[in-house]
Amino acid sequence: MSLLEVKHVSKRFGGLKAINDVSFLVKPGEVTFIVGPNGAGKTTLFNLITSVFHADSGSIHFEGRDISHLTPNGAAQIGIGRTFQLVKPLRNLTVLENVMLGAFLRTSSPSKAEKEATKVLAFLQMENVAHLPARGMGLPTLKRLEIARALATQPKLILLDEVVAGMPTSEAIKLALLLKRLPEWGISTIGGIEHVMQVVMRIADRVIVLDHGVLIAEGAPQDVVHRPEVIEAYLGSKYKEIAL
Amino acid sequence: MRKWQALIAAVFLFAALFVPLLALTDYTLQILFRVFLFAALGLAWNLVGGYAGQLSLGHAAYFGVGAYGLALFSKVGISPWASVLLGVGLAVISAAMIGKVSFRLRGPYFALCTIAFAEVLRLVAKNLPNVTGGDVGVQVPLLFPHSSIRCFYWSGVLLTSFALALSAWIERSRFGYYLMAIREDQDTALSVGVNAARSKLWALLISAAITGLGGALYASMFLFIVPDQVLPMDISTEIAIVAMLGGAGTLIGPLVGSVVLECAAEIFKNIFKEAHLLIYGVLIVVVVLFMPEGIVGTIVSKLALFKKTPSAPFAAPGRATAEEESQRVAIDK
Repeated sequence: MSLLEVKHVSKRFGGLKAINDVSFLVKPGEVTFIVGPNGAGKTTLFNLITSVFHADSGSIHFEGRDISHLTPNGAAQIGIGRTFQLVKPLRNLTVLENVMLGAFLRTSSPSKAEKEATKVLAFLQMENVAHLPARGMGLPTLKRLEIARALATQPKLILLDEVVAGMPTSEAIKLALLLKRLPEWGISTIGGIEHVMQVVMRIADRVIVLDHGVLIAEGAPQDVVHRPEVIEAYLGSKYKEIAL
Repeated sequence: MRKWQALIAAVFLFAALFVPLLALTDYTLQILFRVFLFAALGLAWNLVGGYAGQLSLGHAAYFGVGAYGLALFSKVGISPWASVLLGVGLAVISAAMIGKVSFRLRGPYFALCTIAFAEVLRLVAKNLPNVTGGDVGVQVPLLFPHSSIRCFYWSGVLLTSFALALSAWIERSRFGYYLMAIREDQDTALSVGVNAARSKLWALLISAAITGLGGALYASMFLFIVPDQVLPMDISTEIAIVAMLGGAGTLIGPLVGSVVLECAAEIFKNIFKEAHLLIYGVLIVVVVLFMPEGIVGTIVSKLALFKKTPSAPFAAPGRATAEEESQRVAIDK
């Protein structure tokens, strides 16, 4: 059975079709990456899955249940965690407290939440900044904090929006290797990435390519990057023939 | 830091219980009652405006409802203390209705909406002479057998202690974390499953209950109230200013703010006569400009600078494992 099922979903903002009849499946324990140029609709798709927006047509099912008309906090409650492309830390709280907030979804006890948060911070190798306020952190740390907060909610599916954008490649690879271990925790991943292909090729089981809101290719990473329509989406038709 | 704040406040409030044993004039005790009354109101406001970051400028609504609740319920023959409880209940119900509507808005629009509701209540109270007595006013029963100002003073100290203990408990609970998360970034709070609408409403209900109780105490001390006395904008802004001056979102900020502001107001009134409001205004402007985090907030963040700084400014990469190293080499090629 599939964990997440997106069926013929469309979303339009005024005259712009941000998502146009997109369908795909995510199996439990799978790492799926949605790639596409800037403005392809990756973030909109994430916002639809987490009910920040609601689709104009089509439906989204999670564990067989229709989640098309949930609330954002309802999506978190049923086990969909997410990170934000533009990091949204709770600046005046410490890193640990930020992560505890995620853990509070599954427990009301502060000491249990702290224990869970410490565990997640250890996994992401962030113990050394646990007691510092989030406002002083650099971007790589804040990106990790986004992941830590989402992981602390003990999700079944985690949506990582541009999680390595703006990072040095060495940092991105280190993080990708950690993310590769998420299926061990029983967590499926959907990542959204514009162009850091080293990360995608390294950890994705499956890649979905979006362009102007349309799903143009789907398959194993090595396979997908050689397809003409994908190259055209990234480089334009002029370079398609050279690249092939 | 939180423990120190709680300890300082506990000692201060305990000592405050013995103040009436000193030979003080009724006038002085009345001023001190006002100090603690506004400390309690500020602490109540702090749950919504401080921790949850929702700038309410309409807390006079709950204050006035509590005051009029006591007056009107006892007018129809209900005993004074039962009327206080009914008044508090009414304040909570009005908070539920006001919150349900106004929390749909964010930022300044929320603040404007709360002002509007409080003003509507004031105008209703002014224009329903058959019920509220309108501008002529209505009599309020005395809550304590002896018309002693000491009893009011003690009840003020107790209300402050209660509000402070409740704040301390909330601050360390999951509910408190939820409120702070909503203040810092509501979208983040939603993304980890926080029901922001419900948390904000709960904070407002608790806040309104304490504020209504404060309103009833205040009304009973004056024995007679008119709408412009218990429902004006002045009360709303004074509550908010007390909390912000002391430090919104800090545990004892509103208590400190009330002590400073109410004492300063009284001293200036005696020294500068008519010019006291000018001085008062300048004081507030100076604090807002130079201590935007309030008195306690500023002290806390200054003290935090002295704490030992960690070795690494941000998550320094740990030692690379053999696997990582080989992957990196492969990519560099």
